[in-house]
Amino acid sequence: MTFRRKLLAVFALTVFLSVATVGWLVSTLSRRAFERADDERTSALVTQFRHEFNRQGEEVSRRVEAIAASEPVTRMGLAMNHTAPDPAAYFDAAKSTAENYQLDFLEFVDSQGTIISSAQWPAKFGYPEPASSSLLSMAEKSAFLKQEPLQDNPALGLFAVRAVHVGEHPVYVIGGRRLDKDFLSALDLPAGMRVLLYPNYGDHPGSESLINPSRSVATPETNRPAADKIASLIEAIRQNNQEMTAIVHWSSDRADDELFHAIPLQGPSNASPKPLLGILLIGNSRRSYVELERHIRATALVVGGSGILLAILLSSWAAARVTRPVEQLAGAAQEVAAGNWNARVEISGNDELAELAESFNHMTRELLTQKERLVQAERVAAWRELARRLAHELNNPLFPLQLTVENLVRARLQGSQQFEEIFRESSATLLAEISNLKTIISRFTDFSRMPQPQLRPVQMNDVIRGVLQLFQAQLESPGRGQISCDLQLDQRLEPIPADPELLHRAISNLVLNALEAMPEGGRLSLRTRGNKDSICVEISDTGAGLTAEECNRMFTPYYTSKEHGTGLGLAIVQSVVSDHGGTIRVHSEPGHGATFVVELPRNPDTLQDGSEKNQAETTSSIAAE
Amino acid sequence: MTMKLFAWQQLVISSLVLGVLAVAETRPQYGGTLRVSIREAPTSLDPADSTEADFLARHNLTLLIFDTLTDIDDAGNVHAALATSWQAAPGNQRWQFRLRRNVKFQDGMLVTPATVASCLRTANPSWKVLPDADSIVVERDRPAPNLPAELTLPRNAIAKRNSDGTISGTGPFHIAGWQPGKKLTLAAEENCWRGRPFLDIVEIEMGRNFRDQLVGLELGRTGLVEVTAEQAHRISAQGARVTPSAPIELIALLFVHDAHSPEEKLLRDALAVCVDRASIRTVLLQGTGEPSAGILPNWMSGYGFVFSTQPDLQQARRDREQVRTIPVWTVGYDPNDSIARLLVERIALNARDAGLVLQPSSSRSTDLRLVRLSIVSTDPWLALANVAAVASMPIGDAGGNSVQDLYRAEQALLATQRLIPLFHLPATYAATKFLRDWSVGADGSWRLNDAWLTSEKTNGDKQ
Repeated sequence: MTFRRKLLAVFALTVFLSVATVGWLVSTLSRRAFERADDERTSALVTQFRHEFNRQGEEVSRRVEAIAASEPVTRMGLAMNHTAPDPAAYFDAAKSTAENYQLDFLEFVDSQGTIISSAQWPAKFGYPEPASSSLLSMAEKSAFLKQEPLQDNPALGLFAVRAVHVGEHPVYVIGGRRLDKDFLSALDLPAGMRVLLYPNYGDHPGSESLINPSRSVATPETNRPAADKIASLIEAIRQNNQEMTAIVHWSSDRADDELFHAIPLQGPSNASPKPLLGILLIGNSRRSYVELERHIRATALVVGGSGILLAILLSSWAAARVTRPVEQLAGAAQEVAAGNWNARVEISGNDELAELAESFNHMTRELLTQKERLVQAERVAAWRELARRLAHELNNPLFPLQLTVENLVRARLQGSQQFEEIFRESSATLLAEISNLKTIISRFTDFSRMPQPQLRPVQMNDVIRGVLQLFQAQLESPGRGQISCDLQLDQRLEPIPADPELLHRAISNLVLNALEAMPEGGRLSLRTRGNKDSICVEISDTGAGLTAEECNRMFTPYYTSKEHGTGLGLAIVQSVVSDHGGTIRVHSEPGHGATFVVELPRNPDTLQDGSEKNQAETTSSIAAE
Repeated sequence: MTMKLFAWQQLVISSLVLGVLAVAETRPQYGGTLRVSIREAPTSLDPADSTEADFLARHNLTLLIFDTLTDIDDAGNVHAALATSWQAAPGNQRWQFRLRRNVKFQDGMLVTPATVASCLRTANPSWKVLPDADSIVVERDRPAPNLPAELTLPRNAIAKRNSDGTISGTGPFHIAGWQPGKKLTLAAEENCWRGRPFLDIVEIEMGRNFRDQLVGLELGRTGLVEVTAEQAHRISAQGARVTPSAPIELIALLFVHDAHSPEEKLLRDALAVCVDRASIRTVLLQGTGEPSAGILPNWMSGYGFVFSTQPDLQQARRDREQVRTIPVWTVGYDPNDSIARLLVERIALNARDAGLVLQPSSSRSTDLRLVRLSIVSTDPWLALANVAAVASMPIGDAGGNSVQDLYRAEQALLATQRLIPLFHLPATYAATKFLRDWSVGADGSWRLNDAWLTSEKTNGDKQ
């Protein structure tokens, strides 16, 4: 990752974390605020329901009072006080009266608790009113909840009892309104809230018994898992008889969630223990809250995203401003590494980076100066070495030439009878020395005009064996120390593209070097092995070894550690190896012999592409040790 | 002295005038239109039309237009009508009825033995009816000792079916206008062999519910209406002239199927004894009718009291406890019957006390139904046979004609446990105060032959 990207990532991460933290804080605070508002709304609704409940109760009480005070009921009371009352005349009185007074339940009960007339169950005349003693004691009191048994299912209602005292035996009027959909629908509820009623008939709690005034909202009938949640809430209320709260998830959409506040509805206050007659479930839709939360989140995301995007842009700009000089420096350094010593960095500003750029430019200038000086010095040294070698090489044949010519001149002047013989010997010597001069000159000429390798598949092991065969006689020569040869050739070695003549020449030079390094005898080792992309040839001797300086200068042309060497042998070897795209290195310590390692690439493509391409590649991949 | 004489003269004259007026008010007078409302709405007046339900109102309509060969009185005695005498051959399979002479249909044609025989064959395809010189011979495929009584049934009324689709009878009124199911207008038959009725016109509106009928009566638009038994007490208390018949309508629970198992029989027994008939009669029926556990009313059979109507909840619970699984019985009722639902609900309440489960339903497909069965004749055998036929219960051969035979036959029907009798109710009518000499037969039939409207009403109609 580039410095600019790192810088950009740090900037973006910083901005993102800042935005996320702010968003989380806003979300948390808004959630808490909404929860508080939710609680307040629910509390207000519960209060409103209780107020509505009391109002309905007062209305029921008022109507029952009106019925009790009406003339027909007064006449009924009078009739019931006769010695032989005839309740049959009034058996259908309750129904019509209930219709007139818009009550769902109405019963006339005599002082014995026997039903005279029942609106909700007309056929029940003559039957005793259940729990009549406790019920009749509620006369003149406020309205209360009561479970009214009916033919099919019981019903929950808001009841009031009033007594008609027109004689010794009072008649009781028990009237009420059913707590049903109409009752719940009459409640004035704020938007997003609804009321469900669970009448507790004592059977297994099930949400199917719920009285739901609205069908337009999620219902337990259509959502079984949520219905089970409501059923469990109902069961919990039945167990604990206390107010509870639970969230019901109607769907996977959180906006459909509903917070239910469950209130147990208990029987008359004089009953002990108070029976649980029903459960009021006040549902508060969380849609507005969830939608607002989503809105806040979406806004935060947009703002945060925009902020992050803006931050990225600004960070990019800032990072670019900061990193551009660094990048220029890095680019200039890469150019220098690639050999362009003239690379320079533009200096802008007056900060640390400008100073760094100035220093870099100064450094490259110094490097260039030093390099030029070094090259000049090397060039001078090379010329000196070459002059020394040339003087040395040429001096050797020139001295015999001079002596021969002087002997010849002296013999001529003396008129010696052996002149002829001296002339012949001198001529032979002159010719021999001139030949030596030619040989010396031809070596230099060969080095200066090394031929380009003609590549073809070459088995390196065969080259090794050919070289050894050439030197076999020399190895077995009795005039010198015994040299044993250790040949370790990798038989799996595959042919490589190479010029066999040049390779033969290079390997021969190395073997000759090794032999010359062991005048007292020793061990010559030749090893080949194959690597993934190259083959390796090692030629070791057990001679006197080389110093570190000799190792460093070993491949310098015209450098030699031998008395009669031209200093071109290893230079030629290096030249050949380089022309094949390979490398050569030497490992040696004084007294422990030396090992030359030649590594040549397999590079099968060069077989088809020809030598020109190979030349370009091998030249560029020479690795000087 | 003169003044005293004058006063006496005035007093005598006034007394005479008042006396004449009083006699005139109680003496029958011809004329007037009587408007009658009924709940039923027959679409055919043909007595032999078996597609029409055999209800009481149709019986009454038929006997206003047509005559039967024989008449039956409230005591169940058969009298001559179009037939003046009859005689059975030994074995009671072959009967000969001598016809009244010179009786004419309302279209002027004479009543002949051939017409009568044809008419009876139409109504009773299984009968062999042959005309004779001045009589007809009826041959049955088995002994028919009650044939004279059977001939009093409305379906055996003698009618002449004309080619133009009209129909004529020999009754006191002929058809002046007929809108099937809506309105029937009858006009007095001047040449009726029984004599001309006092009323000129009888207009009968059909398909009117009890409430509308009462409203019509109170507004003076209708002179004669049907009232329900439970309304009778209240209407009577309000001053209306209410006339009930003898209890001739049986209210009962009718099971759709026979009892399949001993357990089901026990449960049906339990249901039969758990119903508190007395309370229901007192309150729901407002004291009218009589509780009954028999098919025939006591006034008709004479042994009705033998069947106990007292509820026995302990017995019902004992019966119920012998049964392991209690089914839920659905009890059907006629939703148009104002009292039926209440009756069923009360019976269900009584049944619940006994541990039975009855579920009232207005559906037609129920386990049992609350039914009203008409006692169509004052002849107990005919009444019993008719109830058995309507309830699709088999009635065996009487084997005799005595009260014991009747009791055994009724007992056999009850033993099937298809029917649980509850009450016998009268047919009750309310009439305007202007309708005089009107009465109701024990079988609920209208006696309009001698009825007449007072002058006040008659004049009112003329105006």
